[in-house]
Amino acid sequence: MKRLNINQVLAILIAALSFAYLFEAYRIPTFPIPRPVDSDVLPKVLGFLMLGLSVWLFFERPKGAAEGEIVEERGVLERWLPVAVTAVAIAVYAGALAWLGFVLASFLLVGGLTWYYGYRRHIVNAIVALAVPLVLYLSMTRLMDIHLPAGILPF
Amino acid sequence: MEALESMLYGFGVALQPENLMYVFIGVFAGTIIGMVPGLGPISALALMIPITYAMNPASGLILMSGVYYGAIFGGSTSSILLNAPGVAGTVATSFDGFPMAKQGKAGKALALAAWASFIGGTVSVLGLMLIAPLLASVAVSFGPAEYFALMLLGLSAVVSLSERSLCKGLIAAVFGVMVSITGIDRQTGTQRYTFDSLHLLQGIDFLVVALGVFALAEVFVMLRAGRDAKTHAPQALGSLKLSKDEVKEISGPVARSSLQGFIVGVLPGAGATIASFLAYITEKRIAKDGDTFGKGNIKGVAAPEAANNAACGGSFVPLLTLGVPGSGSTAVLLGALLVMGVTPGPLMLEQRPDVFWGVIASMYIGNIFLLILNLPLIPYIARILEVPRPMLLALIIVFCMIGVYGLKFSAFDLYLLLAFGLVGLLMRMNGFPLAPMILALILGDLMEENMRRALQISGGDWATFIEKPISATLLSIALLSLVVPPVIRRIKRVRSTRHRTV
Repeated sequence: MKRLNINQVLAILIAALSFAYLFEAYRIPTFPIPRPVDSDVLPKVLGFLMLGLSVWLFFERPKGAAEGEIVEERGVLERWLPVAVTAVAIAVYAGALAWLGFVLASFLLVGGLTWYYGYRRHIVNAIVALAVPLVLYLSMTRLMDIHLPAGILPF
Repeated sequence: MEALESMLYGFGVALQPENLMYVFIGVFAGTIIGMVPGLGPISALALMIPITYAMNPASGLILMSGVYYGAIFGGSTSSILLNAPGVAGTVATSFDGFPMAKQGKAGKALALAAWASFIGGTVSVLGLMLIAPLLASVAVSFGPAEYFALMLLGLSAVVSLSERSLCKGLIAAVFGVMVSITGIDRQTGTQRYTFDSLHLLQGIDFLVVALGVFALAEVFVMLRAGRDAKTHAPQALGSLKLSKDEVKEISGPVARSSLQGFIVGVLPGAGATIASFLAYITEKRIAKDGDTFGKGNIKGVAAPEAANNAACGGSFVPLLTLGVPGSGSTAVLLGALLVMGVTPGPLMLEQRPDVFWGVIASMYIGNIFLLILNLPLIPYIARILEVPRPMLLALIIVFCMIGVYGLKFSAFDLYLLLAFGLVGLLMRMNGFPLAPMILALILGDLMEENMRRALQISGGDWATFIEKPISATLLSIALLSLVVPPVIRRIKRVRSTRHRTV
């Protein structure tokens, strides 16, 4: 069987999402008072439009390397690992923000990621990772009256 | 005379000590962010939005527009010194700027860029001052049908620039509209795509998407590429002074490129990048020494720099007068204004003259600040490029998080940010343009509202869009803007294939 090219794989994914989108569009309730255009019209139009575009994409030939596409010879794991680690770090940060507090959580995120990305001057890293979130925290909570979680720290 | 009086009023707003400070902070922050390769004006603007929340709208827009033209201005520094354009609009500057830097004339190239940008920026502010009120007076007569058509035109113009694939540009735009209509329908109160989640009732904030697909995705792209911008060590700066002959030589190209850049900037969909390339190509074609372009010709630096800054000012015309952004950056600005409770459009001139004229006047001042910043501080500013890349990436992530968290203080938005960061990465990897998506995200809701209002007025008759002359004209142009470029490209391809065969 002929292997699918990247556009065809994307087209199938987009078509599947379009069907799911259309399924939800047909479940949007009708407004009791009749209106020329109800809430479900645009979602249905968008769903069918996306479906049509996915068919177009299926038959479109891919055009070389895109922006951000890596031309150099680096392994898949080597390319994706930093992205995966960063994504997990962000997810953990989001979950722990309220409990740890902005300053501590941001200190761990900045310091940890800077170290992971390869910076080895640990004292400079620690100072920056602590100073930037602290300045941001103090200026936002004290000057702009924007609430940020204090967490386990007393201030 | 009326324009002059309004301008004086604008200066009254812009010269308030607080606003002067915001102009300075804006252009300074913009210059620095613009210099960092990969962080374009859109990311810079998105990062600034949380700061402008609590500000008065005039001050907020003054700060953000300062960041916008500051980023375009600053982008030239990394283009010239490192051959790593900070923003797409300064790519053309690197063609001759970097060769000049390699020849030990980095100082001259930076000074040229600063002066050309200053003149381009000033010309565009003059144009904005004269054209914007005229356009606003015409736009007052626009009804919902006309607005819908105009927004569709803005969107189709941005989509039509997706040179790699029109199909992918359209998919990005449709996806943007899909995201924009999530939440409670404002006209009927019906929930759409909320999946019974309280977090989605108010919809997905554009800042979450903007920071995700631009700033966070940019970090992911850099991580994936393992790129190091400091592939070239900065050269000696050399003298910053321009000789009389050099000034004479660049005066023509700067004047032409400033005008051309402004006009290109006004057109929806075009922007600093197209303006700078167009100016570079034009000057190369008409110059007697065109063959030296790309080898360190001073006109090759001056022309794109004047054009990209002029285009930047020009792009404010459709934003302020019609409320329709013509580019990704101005789309983010529109979003920021809406967050601050100001709706740009023809009525803004009457309802919020402080914002309208204050911003225009602040641009004059901002251009002078930029010149002051970029000339004597060039050697010092350039040191920001020495901030270790690992630390910079980690800090950008925290700035994104704080920006999003400050919206609703909800961790759910942080997960959404991560999701859109990954979506942005996938889009960029697969050649899907981001500008149509972000523009559609901001315009989607407004477009639907205007479309439904127009149909309500016409009693459900869809012909209303083609019966009104302005709306019909705008829709025709929108259709042409989508159809004509691919047809022209195809004709060119067929011709070149035939030529090769012969």
